[in-house]
Amino acid sequence: MADKNDVWQGTLALMVLKTLETIGPLHGYGIARRIEQTSGDLLSVNYGTLYPALLKLEQEGFIASEWGVSDNNRKAKFYKLTRAGKKQVEKEAREWEQAAAIVARFLTPGEAER
Amino acid sequence: MSVVRAWFARLGGMFDKERRDRELSEELESHVEMHIENNLRSGMAPDEARRQAILKLGGLDQTKERYRDRRGIPWLEARLQDIRFGLRMLRKNPGSTAVAVITLALGIGANAIIFSLVNGFLLRPLPVLHPEQIAALAIQQKDVPLGVSGFSYSEFIDFRNQAGAFSEIFGNVLSTVALSTEDRTDQLPICYVSANFFSALGLRPTVGRLIQPSDGEGFGQSIFVVLGYTFWQKRFGGDAEVVGKHVRINGREATIVGVASKEFRGMFSPFEVDAYLPMGAVLAEEGLSQFTLARGQGRVLAFGRLKPGMNLPEAQNSLDVIALRLARQYPATDAGIRVRAIPEKLARPQPYANDVFIVIGALFLVFAGLVLLLACINVANVVLARALVRRREMAVRAALGAGRSRLISQMLTETLLLAIIGGASGLVLAEVANRLAPSVHFPGFPLRLDFAFDWRVYAYALATVVFAGMVSGLPPALRASRADVNSVLRDDGLSRGVGEKHRLHSDLVIAQIACSLTLLVTAGLFVRSLQHIEGTYLGFDPERVLNVVVDPSQDGYDRARTMEFYRELYEHIRALPGVQSASLAASVPLGSFPSRTSVFGDFQPADPKQQPPSILYNIIDPGYLETMRVSLLRGRDFTDADGETAPLVAIVNETMARKLWPGEDPIGESFRMRSGAGRVVEVVGIAQDGKYQTVAEDFQPYFYVPLAQTYASRRVLEVRSAVRPEMLAAQIQREIHGIAPNVTIVDLRTMKQSLEGGTGYFAFRLGAFLAVQMGLVGLIIAVVGVYGVVSFTVTRRTHEIGVRMALGANSTEILVLVLRQGTGLIVAGVSVGLIVSWALSRTLSHVLAGVSATDPLIYAVATATLSLVALIACWIPARRATRVDPMVALRYE
Repeated sequence: MADKNDVWQGTLALMVLKTLETIGPLHGYGIARRIEQTSGDLLSVNYGTLYPALLKLEQEGFIASEWGVSDNNRKAKFYKLTRAGKKQVEKEAREWEQAAAIVARFLTPGEAER
Repeated sequence: MSVVRAWFARLGGMFDKERRDRELSEELESHVEMHIENNLRSGMAPDEARRQAILKLGGLDQTKERYRDRRGIPWLEARLQDIRFGLRMLRKNPGSTAVAVITLALGIGANAIIFSLVNGFLLRPLPVLHPEQIAALAIQQKDVPLGVSGFSYSEFIDFRNQAGAFSEIFGNVLSTVALSTEDRTDQLPICYVSANFFSALGLRPTVGRLIQPSDGEGFGQSIFVVLGYTFWQKRFGGDAEVVGKHVRINGREATIVGVASKEFRGMFSPFEVDAYLPMGAVLAEEGLSQFTLARGQGRVLAFGRLKPGMNLPEAQNSLDVIALRLARQYPATDAGIRVRAIPEKLARPQPYANDVFIVIGALFLVFAGLVLLLACINVANVVLARALVRRREMAVRAALGAGRSRLISQMLTETLLLAIIGGASGLVLAEVANRLAPSVHFPGFPLRLDFAFDWRVYAYALATVVFAGMVSGLPPALRASRADVNSVLRDDGLSRGVGEKHRLHSDLVIAQIACSLTLLVTAGLFVRSLQHIEGTYLGFDPERVLNVVVDPSQDGYDRARTMEFYRELYEHIRALPGVQSASLAASVPLGSFPSRTSVFGDFQPADPKQQPPSILYNIIDPGYLETMRVSLLRGRDFTDADGETAPLVAIVNETMARKLWPGEDPIGESFRMRSGAGRVVEVVGIAQDGKYQTVAEDFQPYFYVPLAQTYASRRVLEVRSAVRPEMLAAQIQREIHGIAPNVTIVDLRTMKQSLEGGTGYFAFRLGAFLAVQMGLVGLIIAVVGVYGVVSFTVTRRTHEIGVRMALGANSTEILVLVLRQGTGLIVAGVSVGLIVSWALSRTLSHVLAGVSATDPLIYAVATATLSLVALIACWIPARRATRVDPMVALRYE
């Protein structure tokens, strides 16, 4: 772990969903770049794992895909959030916040003892 | 929800792969292009930009592979690929596929048939509410073995009132009655049932109502009749109007109240009962006092329904308590009484003391299993041969990275496919064979045996299919997948001889010959057993005898009219042309309902604990011994002088004479019969021993008393004819109806027909038939196996044979060369087979009659037959080898 953290699988799905929620329809490369940028370049996405993850989300019905044209006029597959996907973002975000809060309690000694 | 959705999506992802692949390529391409553009913008050189982009992606092909794993269901796709490949292989080799399918069809078909027999007899539960709670109650009366006699009515009532472990104890009595409507009379197998019979079983009527507990036992009331479903369909066309119809049962008024449910055929499901009557109606046959009051013997077959949560041992305890109480209360009749509760399925057809049905069932399942094993070995051989030819292909696949498990799974798929096709064909074969199954006659119950296939048979067949697929596929699969890539690829794959590589092949053939020999020996033993039984001395001459059973009391005749009817009938029949002699008796050997009684006398030892012997007897007229050709050894036959008022006399058989008066002359001795109200009977003659109940029984004591001194309303007319007895049948029926138009003929069959029935040779014939079929199937399969393996090696040794011939070997030497291999296999197989058969013989000896299970003659004949046939199977490919043209053989590669 020299300078950048790899994204681990479970959170990748949430990041993808959140990204699509914020930005709207986007292609795979854009999603990957966006995640890296949002993390302040602290995270490095293995682009090869991104596509199976996108496929999985699509199979689960959280996102849908469509061929379109990118900013610089290139043919690309665009992903967008579905209705079920929007609910899923909320649910996962809530769960993530809860988990983070619990872990945080352990990490702040004063809080845990009280 | 989303998980299910994802699986469906993945299932869909298995199809239309080309389009999906193309889309994936385009998507990744556009991704890489975008990345390159980006890299270029940040000042990278074009080559480096592309390299970095692909590096960051983790490789194009790797990404695609990972994507595909997620897109479909890789495991399922691999199986589908295996199946497609397997089907292609099967199509490519139609000859060997046909051999494998046919052998498997025979093997699986044989298993299905045997299992359907076992299923019909022993496994299928009764179609009643909670059949697992039903137990048969086998009673052991003091002087009769377990299960031979039933409960007397009084004992039945005692147990029913006292047994706390059972929610219900119910019973039935099997019998036949005449049911008459205005226009016709039918003789029906029926059962008299206790009032709680239907309610205890939880059965519902098809129409009308069933006999209910509130009806009581129906003594002295008008008779209610519940029809069996099949009889209702057959006789009344399924007409619901039949309810309320007045009919006559044995001449007495009766009313049809309902029809039983379609599935229920009586308490022993393969046999079907045509009607159910209240137990009170038995009286017409036996007389009130004898039926309700007698103890110690009876005809009631009792069953109990266990209370929920109660188990058999607990129930057994409560029965033991009642038995002890009864023995104390009625020492004269019920001393030593015992009742055993047996799960209903294990007590079929009747709760006998030995479990011979179960032994036979298990034994035949083992034999069917052997046949299947033989078939599997054949398939394994075929697959193995194919695998040897495909060694190169396998090695190449392994070299290209196909895992060992993948190779094994691919071969197993192939054999499973074979097994499925073979199993389906086998089931069709079995169904056809099942349709042709004979119906069997049991005395008084000419009933159909129902061995229809149900889900149990199909489940069993499915299990055998999976077993066959695995067993025949695993050895060659393991063997082939182990092949060393290097040596195979370097090897030319053709010139190899019968070296180490063919060990498995040979072992399989040896196992096959061994199995086949075991089956042949078994078939031989069963055939010998049948021959022995057919040759047994019956004690009478069954040739050209016709037996006609009538019972005028069933049609309302009183004693005087019955006697008059018989006297007249006898006169008429004797005067018929073609009749050599005729006689009347209460029963005939191997017929229904022989009488049994306890006898007392001076022969009785002083020890009061010893029970008086219970002995079968017959009531005969003076012409009987002559008509049946039972020889009188000493003393005199009955005469007309032995009338009602004359001193009571009896003729005993040899066994009775020897057992009751050992070392003495029984003539002039006397004994008392319980059934004759304790009257003293004097022995006036000794008759030859014979078979009385079944052909397989040991000689047992038996005696005869004159009809004039013991009245019986139900009689058998025995007619010995000079012509074929069937030819007299119509005429005799005409005579009977000429004398008494409304008397029903209960039964009419020749002695020969009786001999083929359930008490005769039937079981032995069936056993021999099945064993011979399996022996033949086994032999065929084994011979195909031997032939296949030998001709396979001949093909592979063509080159070597060519060289030998080129070097001067003549055709005899080549013949010997090939035959030596075959002979070695045969000798090894036969040796193993002899050991296996010998080990099995102990179990077999339980079901064989009159033949030693280690009879050397049978072993010798089986060995010789198998060896000879197997040698011929070797000889054909060996001959082919001698015709190899050396020049062709050398150029063969």
